[in-house]
Amino acid sequence: MQLRFEKRLHQSKIMLLAAPFIAIALSVVLSCILLVVLKKPILLTFHSFFIAPFENFYSITEIFLKFGPLLLIAQALAVGFRAKIWNIGAEGQMVIGAIAASAVPVYFVDSTSGWLLPAMIVLGALGGMAWAAIAAFLRTQFNANEILVTLMLTSIALQLLYFLLLGPWKDPMGFNFPQTVMFQDEALFPALFSGVRLNVSIIFPILFTIAVWLFMEKHYGGYKLVVGGLAPSAAGYAGFSSKKAVWGSLLLAGFAAGIAGMSEVAGPIGQLQRSMTSGYGYSAIIVAYLGALNPIGIVFAAFFLAVLHIGGDVALVSAGLPISAVHIFQGMILIFYLSAYAFVNYRLRVVQPVTQPDSAVSS
Amino acid sequence: MIKKIAKRLATVAVAAVMVQNVASAETLEVGILLPSPIADVGWSHALVAGMDAVKAKHGDKVNFNVVENIQEGPDADRIMNKMVGDGAEFLLLGSFGYMNGGLKLAKRNPERSFVHASGYKVADNFSPFTAKYYEGAYLMGMAAADLTKTKKLGVVSAFAIPELISTINGFTLGARSVDPEITVDVIWINSWFDPAKAQDSAKALLANGADILFSNAQDTPSVVSVGEENGAYVFNLNSSMKEYAPTKYLGVVKTDWAPFFVASVDAHLAGNFEGANQWLGMQDDVVVVEDWSDDISAEMKDKIKAKQDEIASGAVHVYDGPLTNQAGEEVVAAGSRLEDGAILGIDWHVEGINSPLPK
Repeated sequence: MQLRFEKRLHQSKIMLLAAPFIAIALSVVLSCILLVVLKKPILLTFHSFFIAPFENFYSITEIFLKFGPLLLIAQALAVGFRAKIWNIGAEGQMVIGAIAASAVPVYFVDSTSGWLLPAMIVLGALGGMAWAAIAAFLRTQFNANEILVTLMLTSIALQLLYFLLLGPWKDPMGFNFPQTVMFQDEALFPALFSGVRLNVSIIFPILFTIAVWLFMEKHYGGYKLVVGGLAPSAAGYAGFSSKKAVWGSLLLAGFAAGIAGMSEVAGPIGQLQRSMTSGYGYSAIIVAYLGALNPIGIVFAAFFLAVLHIGGDVALVSAGLPISAVHIFQGMILIFYLSAYAFVNYRLRVVQPVTQPDSAVSS
Repeated sequence: MIKKIAKRLATVAVAAVMVQNVASAETLEVGILLPSPIADVGWSHALVAGMDAVKAKHGDKVNFNVVENIQEGPDADRIMNKMVGDGAEFLLLGSFGYMNGGLKLAKRNPERSFVHASGYKVADNFSPFTAKYYEGAYLMGMAAADLTKTKKLGVVSAFAIPELISTINGFTLGARSVDPEITVDVIWINSWFDPAKAQDSAKALLANGADILFSNAQDTPSVVSVGEENGAYVFNLNSSMKEYAPTKYLGVVKTDWAPFFVASVDAHLAGNFEGANQWLGMQDDVVVVEDWSDDISAEMKDKIKAKQDEIASGAVHVYDGPLTNQAGEEVVAAGSRLEDGAILGIDWHVEGINSPLPK
């Protein structure tokens, strides 16, 4: 008896729906083992992860605070991923977006103009797009691999951030600590409700999601993009430009990541500081795949990951879980999901080894 | 009573966090938030060791909730909020980067007390605390002067913030009080924890001729190990790393936060916690120098001891004039002393330090 891994003729719809649940179930089982080994309370841990985030209003708003940037960036990345353009540097594009937007309150410290915030939004978007454009240019002109370029550009973006914070943009009253001034209220998004950090910037991911859904599902351009990625030469014969796909998907991601970075500094952080991305640029890759690169799937995936993150923070405090255990749990879900997802397009089949007829030997 | 409860509930509602297990009257819930793993050495380790004294004194009457290795940023704010929501009445925020989030939380929760490491903002219930490391570093400078042959000392340092600048100045002043020909080189690596960078920087300093190393605010023993491997004496801050340099360990400028933490928690329990800038040194038994190398000459040891007593008693101050800056200009005249405020915000190096201060 032999097991064979073979491609299915059609995607399995059952597996498509079951994959996330299988992933969660396996992660939960493995986590239980981990928790027993760590001697941590199992029920309290799962309560922290999956129930506590919904137990009060503040916590729910915090879920949406995390949900916003994850959703925004993941939607943009998924468009590129469907076109087989692997932008894994959204983190860097986010940093540059935040830097570009921060220029406004840093240079107009005393301004109370109502134009501060709109200017920051525009600059944030342009900053992210400019950073992504470097990768698009190198890819289309020199065929430089965008995986490497976008990743390396993230390191450069961080160094630029550190340079500005330690040098020209340092808060003059901040005792040399690497951070800018606290932004004035006019440079911050107003909170949606008093006493919470969730602010009006949550509108961006929602609008962006609708736009991406319309583009990918209803627009010819979305189809061209996917074909350009799947079969560049076929797309070429059909008159679709693969260069346009590269530029389009990278600029879209830069735009989204730039807005996300801007929303962080003009939102919960309120200044430009060293750690400002919360790793959204990387987590969004997970979200995009967890959502099967589908605009609607991504909404659920982003929400799920946001809950998992808020739950993780609760678990740190309430269940005394070490942060590494939280990361392991979050990582397990992704790995199990991707493994389960393989069965959407493939299946395992039991095959009987073919027995050699004796006659073949004797003759 | 009902009014009081209502007020308290209102405050919690403003903080808008769930009160899961409101602390019972007998037990003080303490939240401790740390930027790095507690590990066996370093910054977070020293903070937790200080809190252990609180535990030793109050036993079951205090309950700690320690969350370690939390990056500064929006997530840290959420975790602090959660600690308060879970009933923490006293919070130790272990990193400068928790300042703005911590301060907001403190203002929303006026009945809770906060101590915050390395910051500069104060509120009625929010005390920033910092050690006068420069006092201990001055003594280390004297010991370094006794042992150096090249007359070049090297410092691997985290961020160019006043706390660390003043420490390097103290080290340099101590060394040059023994031998004015000594010079100091500094490499800023802009990280509290970057073993590879710390190691490379230490090697670069040695290659440049330094034969004594100072690991300034590094949460890794990298610099200390490099010293041992290359036969250069080395010292560090916060907690002893002697095991990483058994033969070349000059000593440690230790921070013993226990006296301050115990006093703060006692004040909170007595209901008279008052936010103030807590700047603590040898006088407060917070800065302690120990694990001295046996290679230091007996004569120098006596001198160091004498100086230590003078500093601890307040008779002598590290920043007594005359003090000259790198440009050779006199900043503090003979007979006067640099004010505390000026040291807390210091942005200049003393004469004898070769490296320019990053601006």
